[in-house]
Amino acid sequence: MGSAKANLKRKASIIEANDATANAQAAQDSDFEDFGGGILNAVLDDEDSEDDSDFLGEEGDDLDDEEETESEDDIESEDIPTDDEGEEIKSAITNGINPNKDEDADDRPNYRIEKDANGGVRYVYDEIDPVYDSDDTDAQGPTNTIGNIPLSFYDSYPHIGYDINGKRILRPATGEALDSLLDSIELPEGWTGLTDPETGKPLNLSRDELELLRRVQMKEVPEEGYDMYPDTVEWYTSHVEQFPLSAAPEPKRRFVPSKHEAKRVMKLVKAIREGRILPYKPPEEREKEQEEEEEVHYDLWADETPRPPNVMHIPAPKLAPPGYDLSYNPPPEYLPTNAERKAWEETDPEEREKTYLPQKYDSLRRTPAYDEFVKERFDRCLDLYLAPRVRKNRLNIDPTSLLPKLPRPEELRPFPTVASIEFAGHEGRVRSVAIDSSGQWLASGGDDGTVRVWGLSDGKQQWRAKLSSEDPVDVVRWRPGQDGLILSAAVGEDIYLMIPSTVNPELEQASRTILDAGFGYASNAKQQTTTTGARKDPPAKWARPGARLEDEGVLLKATVRSPIKTINWHRRGDFFCTVSPTGQRSAVAIHILSKHLTQIPFRKLPGGAPQTASFHPSRPLFFVATQRTIRCYDLQRQELVKTIQPGCRWISSFDIHPGGDHLIAGSYDRRLLWHDLEMSARPYKTLRFHEQAIRSVKFHPGSYPLFADCSDDGSLQIFHSKVVNDLMEGPTITPVKMLSGHRVVNRLGVTDVAWHPHHPWIASAGADGTCRLWT
Amino acid sequence: MGRIKRKGEAGNAKNYITRTQAVKKLQISLPDFRKLCIWKGIFPREPRNRKKASKSSTASTTFYYAKDIQFLLHEPLLQKFREQKALEKKISKALGRGDVGDASRLERNAARPEKTGKPRYTLDNVIRDRYPTFVDALRDLDDCLSMLFLFANLPSTSTVPAKMIARCERLCLEFQHYLIVSQSLRKSFLSIKGIYYQANIQGEDILWLVPYKFNQRVVGDVDFRIMGTFVEFYMTLLGFVNFRLYTSAGLKYPPKFDENKDNEAAELGAFKLEGNHAAITSDEPAQLTGGESVAQPDPKTQAEVNKLIRQMKDAAVEGEQTEAAPETDETTDTIDKFEPAAPGGDILPQPSSLGSEPGSLFANCTFYLSRETPRQSLEFILRAFGCKRIGWDSVLGEGAYTTNERDPSITHQIVDRPIVQAATEEDGDGEDNQTSQKLASNQRIPGRIYIQPQWVWDSINDEELKRPDEYAPGAQLPPHLSPFVQNTQGAYDPTLPLKDQEPEGEALDDSDEADEEEADEDEADDSFAVKKPKAAADGMDVDASDDEEDEADDTFGGFSEGERSGEEEEEEEEDEDDDEELRNQQELEAELSGKPVKQTKVDARSQKLEAKKKLAQKAKEEAEEIERAKGMLSKKKRKLFEQMQYTNNKKSAEDQKLREKRRKLEKQKARAKA
Repeated sequence: MGSAKANLKRKASIIEANDATANAQAAQDSDFEDFGGGILNAVLDDEDSEDDSDFLGEEGDDLDDEEETESEDDIESEDIPTDDEGEEIKSAITNGINPNKDEDADDRPNYRIEKDANGGVRYVYDEIDPVYDSDDTDAQGPTNTIGNIPLSFYDSYPHIGYDINGKRILRPATGEALDSLLDSIELPEGWTGLTDPETGKPLNLSRDELELLRRVQMKEVPEEGYDMYPDTVEWYTSHVEQFPLSAAPEPKRRFVPSKHEAKRVMKLVKAIREGRILPYKPPEEREKEQEEEEEVHYDLWADETPRPPNVMHIPAPKLAPPGYDLSYNPPPEYLPTNAERKAWEETDPEEREKTYLPQKYDSLRRTPAYDEFVKERFDRCLDLYLAPRVRKNRLNIDPTSLLPKLPRPEELRPFPTVASIEFAGHEGRVRSVAIDSSGQWLASGGDDGTVRVWGLSDGKQQWRAKLSSEDPVDVVRWRPGQDGLILSAAVGEDIYLMIPSTVNPELEQASRTILDAGFGYASNAKQQTTTTGARKDPPAKWARPGARLEDEGVLLKATVRSPIKTINWHRRGDFFCTVSPTGQRSAVAIHILSKHLTQIPFRKLPGGAPQTASFHPSRPLFFVATQRTIRCYDLQRQELVKTIQPGCRWISSFDIHPGGDHLIAGSYDRRLLWHDLEMSARPYKTLRFHEQAIRSVKFHPGSYPLFADCSDDGSLQIFHSKVVNDLMEGPTITPVKMLSGHRVVNRLGVTDVAWHPHHPWIASAGADGTCRLWT
Repeated sequence: MGRIKRKGEAGNAKNYITRTQAVKKLQISLPDFRKLCIWKGIFPREPRNRKKASKSSTASTTFYYAKDIQFLLHEPLLQKFREQKALEKKISKALGRGDVGDASRLERNAARPEKTGKPRYTLDNVIRDRYPTFVDALRDLDDCLSMLFLFANLPSTSTVPAKMIARCERLCLEFQHYLIVSQSLRKSFLSIKGIYYQANIQGEDILWLVPYKFNQRVVGDVDFRIMGTFVEFYMTLLGFVNFRLYTSAGLKYPPKFDENKDNEAAELGAFKLEGNHAAITSDEPAQLTGGESVAQPDPKTQAEVNKLIRQMKDAAVEGEQTEAAPETDETTDTIDKFEPAAPGGDILPQPSSLGSEPGSLFANCTFYLSRETPRQSLEFILRAFGCKRIGWDSVLGEGAYTTNERDPSITHQIVDRPIVQAATEEDGDGEDNQTSQKLASNQRIPGRIYIQPQWVWDSINDEELKRPDEYAPGAQLPPHLSPFVQNTQGAYDPTLPLKDQEPEGEALDDSDEADEEEADEDEADDSFAVKKPKAAADGMDVDASDDEEDEADDTFGGFSEGERSGEEEEEEEEDEDDDEELRNQQELEAELSGKPVKQTKVDARSQKLEAKKKLAQKAKEEAEEIERAKGMLSKKKRKLFEQMQYTNNKKSAEDQKLREKRRKLEKQKARAKA
């Protein structure tokens, strides 16, 4: 290889040296070069070097070094034996088998030895005729002499094919033992161990060829030293111009320091100063620093001040603590049965009452993780920030404590249940009924203008008086008190006071004195005058009713200005009030029996026509019911105490509880209203059990906690009312009985009721012309 | 007369605003709003009148209290959120321009400095604001602890960074250390969900749930961003709470944390508590390694030496005590006992400090945990209840008192494995002690108590050491009951015998059922759904009462007692007739099959029937009474009453079911015995 290189170099040097003239020597040289096989390389080399040295010596000393190195190279290459010998062998072979060459050529050398000018030996080679067949390495090469047959055909012969002269071409000495031995001892240069299939000779490759192969194989450029990317030669910019292209003076910015740069630098300086730009730190270190910064702990509640809880703040409810069924090892009764398990699995997860099924694991190590753990926590998180909160007051009480303490049905008794006596005799409707304070007598008045007194126990009519032939008796009332037996009745504008003739003459006498006591006062009464001085009409005229009536026992008559609808006595029996709804200013009148005097307490009553009036059972209070309100007046101070608003359209009647703190009112719009006078102007209870207008309501005057109302639907209703003195507890009202028996005539049923003073009995007056006693 | 009030200017319409309005008012994004709400504890409300609040719009929305939102407007965090948003905008703009360097600079700067970077926020103020006093914070610690303990056990993912998990774990362990030191753990409960713990700190009961040490499965859609927001808040909260607790206990916070130990799964052992003042020393037990104990010299001589030393010490201590006694009496800050000087005064209850000290339940025990037991929870509980020496298998991690199973100081060993064969080793402390550190499974060392883990839990809940034989390895464990259930009157209590808590009627039913079961024993299977033959009759009763109710509701019909009682009687007669018919039928059947009629049984049965009938009668009367009283209630109250009754009935039905099951089980057991 080394020698080949040397040759190349040498060639280059020759080119350089004899650039101008290409002499024959050079051509010869190149010929030798092209000889490919490099015949007689060593010889040539020697010769060349000599040649060169000569030549160069003439030319000059410039290339001396090169020459020396070359010679050195040669020497080195000589040291390596393989190279040239291989070549020689090869060349020998080629010569041997070359058919183009003459035998002469084989025999004698193609040069002459002459003497040069110095007397040295000079080899003069024959002129090569450059014809087609000339001895040219290009045409050389292994030639096939056997044709297109396999080499194996000649295996049994010592030769391979024939030459052009018909002579055998002897087999090369490959088979010979010595050669093979030599080959085995030292491998020749370029030995590949392959046999050329065409020539049958060993195929040896030179280094160059091997290198070439390698390059081809590695896909490199086959030619050595070929530079694919040569440096560009800048033809124009590399030339330094001697003179400037423009005559403009150089700008200032070329030599003044840049303001922009200064600005940027200042920016950086500022950033560094301000700490915006910090020296680089590896990220781990930075993180650690950050962590340290994060974990700053101090006593956050060092100066805690309790804050009163905000009303609007609703703390999140805590999760319920786990119950028995959440245990990993619960009591066996908490485990679900197959049916329960199935039911649980079949229900939608949203609708399950519990999110889990109780499970039993017989030891702790078998207990698995809970699948829903994260989900449950997440749900809790959602609840905490997403669920609307409402404050709900949970009543943690026994529900039965809500129920009112109802008296037992046995405790409610006695109350009237059946109609025991029917008092029949009136023609037309019975308008009013009353039982006297002794409980012996029942008085009734009706459309026929008569007042009748019945024995309560036997139901027989004891006494009757016809007060008027055309006007009905609107109301009958007994005077309260045991000292006399006086009955009052109202017919039109007249009030009649009568003493029914009963068995007891003493009582009759006492009653007469009570009635007559007032005649002395009548004259003493002041004459009232109007502003003009004219005599004013007295509110009522008290007089004897006339001989016929006096004989029957009607002893006194008071006439007011307009027809009277109700009479109510004061508990002491001296006063009574009457109400005549149509009587404008004088509608309500208070009469004093002992003085035969009548007063009109109200100039004007707001709230519509008065319906009924009544005295408070214990205190000096006076109640007047107008259509919609009940007004309570203090009689002593003469002022309005309160106004009760039952909220109904038209009050028909009312009654005050004997205790004095409660009031019931009945209305034509079918309501029964219970008022607690202490509490509010609005009803405590509204009872709507009637289908028709309520005509009358009454409390039991005695010891029984009962009250009753009667209605146009022909029925009475009895209620039990327990009034406790405890302010915290309201009265309990219990409906107990519905009494029906009266016929409804012309859409009128029961017109009035009256309680027996001592017994739980009640008397009712019906539009069917009868009175009934219910016991 | 005042000015006319216009609609929508006061009250519900003004006090509540919808979420959208709130977000608009605060000018932040919805996620930021969510964050703010979570941290500041702002929650939606249910307005008293939805229609007024929504101004008659029917869309379903959530409402916030307007003043809450007003309150949020002044929140400094809001400014931080806005800054953050601005920064994000800057970064995205830079990225949009393709200016990666700028973006990264912004991002980088974001991590630290005050002026340009990411708004650094702390939640200190928020916590102070939400919990003005420390007790308030304690009151709200339940969710905090549950959450942090869960996160301490989660695997780290992109949404749950490892750093967060590590911090949670640390905080939790620190909290546990405080509980151990202050001995304020009260109860614990093994549930199917996890382990519940209850501690009492400064009079506040705190209950939290810790999952079992398994990989948590995340099912359903769980948004870890929301949970992360909570955790961030809770971490800060628990940090401050821990600080306060530690300092109040005279300890330094944060405690010394040994990372190496932590890496070896020492858990609680990785922390070393230090006193705030040098005086307080950590009461870490002197570590006795297994090797040392093995290398002990002759036990007899050692015992003698110990005895001598003890005697000397005692003498010294006695001397000191006699001197110091009066002083200590003066300076104790325990509560003095007030004895009534004269009779007639009221007695005021005092907390008894001398009574059972829950913190020293396990003080005299040395535990050894087998490797299949849950070490973390056991270690925590045992330590919290005074145990100083806990050893465990080296598999379970670092920090054990001893890893040698043969350590002679061990008094209790907690085992949770099935018995294959109960083989006790005859040559207990032989010379093979040194060679074999571990025993073969199921080998027993004499002189120590083997128990299952549940023993520990039941012991601390009952505040006494339970009988170990019930909890022996392989034994059928007694049921583990929740210590948090407060037994109310009438509710089912599994600890009481069945007879004490079943009402009369049920007992009768029960015996009746028993008879039936005996009659047809082939029905004995484990399904509890036994159809009662009584059901039909019940149905009839119910119907009848319904009718009555209707009557009472519609109109007041007075007391038609005569009629009604007549009806009832008829019904009952019918019932009786039915019974008689049934009996006749049975007799006939018996005749046909040629068996003797069960005369005696019938007698007993008739007695029972009578009793039952009486009970039914009574119940019916009571129901009537209630119905009557209910008629007198106002509509509102009646509804309330009915609701309450409904829930009560539901509860009692559940209880009844439980009793029924138990009866069945007991019967089965009895039968199995017989």
